[in-house]
Amino acid sequence: MQTTKFEQVNETVYQETLANGLQVFLVPKQGFSKTYAVFTTRYGSIDSHFRTRDGKEINVPDGIAHFLEHKMFEKKDRDVMHEFSKNGASCNAFTSFNRTAYLFSCTEKLDDNLNLLLDYVQEPYFTDASVEKEKGIIGQEITMYDDNPDWKVYMNLLKAMYKDYPINIEIAGTIETISHITKEYLYQCYETFYHPANMLLLVVGSFEPEAVMKLIRDNQSAKEFPPAPQITRLFPEEQPEPAQPKIEAALPVGLPKCMIGIKEREHGLTKEALLKRELETKLLLDIAFGTSSAIYERLYDSELITESFDFDYSSEQDYAYTILGGDTPDPERLVETIQNEIEQLKQKGIDPDDFERAKRKKIGNFLRSLNSVEFIANQFTSFKFNGNDLFAVVPTLESITREDVEKRMKEHFAAEQMAVSIVRSASPQE
Amino acid sequence: MSANIAEIAFQSTQINGMNVHILPTGKFKTTTIVTMIEQPLSEETVTKTALLAMVMKRASARFPETKQLRAHLDFLYGAIFDVDVTKKGERQILQIYMEVPNEKYLSQGESLLEQAIEFVGDMLARPRVENGAFVEKYVAQEKETLRKRIESLIDDKMKYANQRVTEEMCKGEPFALLVQGKVKDLPGISGQDLYRHFTELTTKNPIHMFVVGDVDQKTVEQAIAKHIPLNRSQAESLNIDQTAKNEHKENEVIDRLEVNQAKLNIGCRTHITYKDDDYPALLVYNGVLGGFPHSKLFVNVREKQSLAYYAVSRLESHKGIMMIMSGIDVNNYQKAVEIIKQQMESMRKGEITDEEMSQTRATLSNQFRELLDSARGMIEFTFNGLISGRKRQLDELLKGIETATIEDLKKVAEKVAIDTIYLLRDKKGEA
Repeated sequence: MQTTKFEQVNETVYQETLANGLQVFLVPKQGFSKTYAVFTTRYGSIDSHFRTRDGKEINVPDGIAHFLEHKMFEKKDRDVMHEFSKNGASCNAFTSFNRTAYLFSCTEKLDDNLNLLLDYVQEPYFTDASVEKEKGIIGQEITMYDDNPDWKVYMNLLKAMYKDYPINIEIAGTIETISHITKEYLYQCYETFYHPANMLLLVVGSFEPEAVMKLIRDNQSAKEFPPAPQITRLFPEEQPEPAQPKIEAALPVGLPKCMIGIKEREHGLTKEALLKRELETKLLLDIAFGTSSAIYERLYDSELITESFDFDYSSEQDYAYTILGGDTPDPERLVETIQNEIEQLKQKGIDPDDFERAKRKKIGNFLRSLNSVEFIANQFTSFKFNGNDLFAVVPTLESITREDVEKRMKEHFAAEQMAVSIVRSASPQE
Repeated sequence: MSANIAEIAFQSTQINGMNVHILPTGKFKTTTIVTMIEQPLSEETVTKTALLAMVMKRASARFPETKQLRAHLDFLYGAIFDVDVTKKGERQILQIYMEVPNEKYLSQGESLLEQAIEFVGDMLARPRVENGAFVEKYVAQEKETLRKRIESLIDDKMKYANQRVTEEMCKGEPFALLVQGKVKDLPGISGQDLYRHFTELTTKNPIHMFVVGDVDQKTVEQAIAKHIPLNRSQAESLNIDQTAKNEHKENEVIDRLEVNQAKLNIGCRTHITYKDDDYPALLVYNGVLGGFPHSKLFVNVREKQSLAYYAVSRLESHKGIMMIMSGIDVNNYQKAVEIIKQQMESMRKGEITDEEMSQTRATLSNQFRELLDSARGMIEFTFNGLISGRKRQLDELLKGIETATIEDLKKVAEKVAIDTIYLLRDKKGEA
């Protein structure tokens, strides 16, 4: 077991890669009552075109990774959620574009819960009847998202930004696409992507690391796995520019919703370079649009934005984009104003005081988020999948200069990389 | 169940007429300061208080412009600061939230704690006021923002349905009010009204201030005494009796909107509130019925019938209301209501397995113990005890959950009554 101490944030990470390829990370938190464990596979909604174990190329229905996540909870003779309930644990799972995570939190019986987590995720059980039954439940989940204007404006923006790359597809699929899902498809996906070598287990909270690592080792060495498959994901070539400049939808809302996306042109950054670009961009966005920025003040004073205005940068090896926006009475004018403000900021450059303040703010916010075992659990894995350490964020942040952010501003804030998504009510009385 | 539960042990004292509760703990990398000002929820003041919260956070005497105020927060290593209103039974709580990193983790050695307390003092004791009024510019802007916030309730169909069923069910009771108030009240509120209301709240109403973090109690007390010089008489607690109709007939209300999924909300009176002896049994009742993935509603509405993605029940413990919520296909409305009623009926008959009991006890205990890892959670728990007039130790509540029997749940079930069945549905089909 390897130990890495991150002095500045006073956290220690214990790490081991098991014989079957599973990477295990343990983060003990002194004085906490609860423990949180997340078992994640590098497999998400975008992985719908790939080669199976025997080298055959297949396309599976949209929404299958999410469907598979739902079906993992049902076993021949038991329901996994009930098992966790017996131990007092609360369990959950989620599917994103590029990963599927299974998790629980508990304040007692950690050993039982950890074994249960490892066992149920490593024991697929799908039948025709249970696959059919799940279609009703997921159908209602999809319908619920269809009524959610925040989700709609976000998904539509991804559709406007990406022409072929599959993050433009709904994570849960549609009622039509999930109707094609069969248990055979589920097994194929499971066998390709749920090998321990493609997975990561993280435990954070109140426990003794040696004992927990032993439990995990014992659990895994008692099971047999085939050799790790070579995973070949097949992705279409994505054009650098957005697919379309503007997309609209109608849903009942109090005020129209408007989001601007800025699509990254360059891809393939890894590790430190990827992290540095992410942090630079996040600093840039805060300097430009944060609540204490001049732009924010002007937008708010002119009543073009409300307190719902927000922004974020998503960063992965193969896709990355900024999203900003919120509720606005006048989407067209908001877009125009923001574009003008961006051009002016590019002319003017970044004020050194604004830069220092944004940096302090980011460091403080990061420290605050380390109070939360949920935050650590959820962020740690995505950092690892990209070859980075969550706890190394502060030194990287500290190394970033104003010049770095200026340079980032010039390459990222490009008008031809922008797309807009709007949701407004069909009829004014709603 | 482990033998010793760490208690949520705030040290309480009075400073400048405020109730100050301090909890030193090395668990967190930040210090959290939450100030709660209580007042009765009422038609007359609900909108004013909601607007006041928004205007307060725009400026202070020391930071007369919003941009300066926010820049200062960023300078305090991104201190989190917010003023908001919440509803707890028939109380409206104005809440000032502040969280700063503990300087221990920063290379700079400045005392962020004292600066944070000073900032809270700016809000409570040194607002930006001109000629006895809050500044017109901010009042006008925040009226607009509040109007938009109230109107955007419709964006979230789950929240919208929940508010609508509450309005219908509690007609004539203060609890029916939306905590953000009413759009129609906004034009009538002036900067002067707001300042008068502010003065009233900060000098007369009960104020509870909570501080959680790696702090020294004496230092915190001294900083509060120095930076928050409120002139108040001894703070009293408000006496608020929760009103509840006793006559029961099931109302049915149907709203129509352009939606794909229908929202079914069933509002129930439980006639049990936080302060009552059978409150722990109510928690277990709600857990068995609809609090968890092992609960009757989840199992029967979702797992067995595939009617819904979610089917849950939630308590409002100060008002004594239980809300059952589900998202369904409108064609399954009658069927879903029938299944839900069957589950409530089986609770009344005591058709509860030992496994359901043990799962619920375990998951509830887990939920309450998880509070110990969150400053906000510990503050909330303690505040609930203070305002309900029944301070329970965490240990006591856990024991109550552990010892509640099926017989106790049957007694609770006798008291629980459906009041309003509400459906938010699409515009298609027969009217």
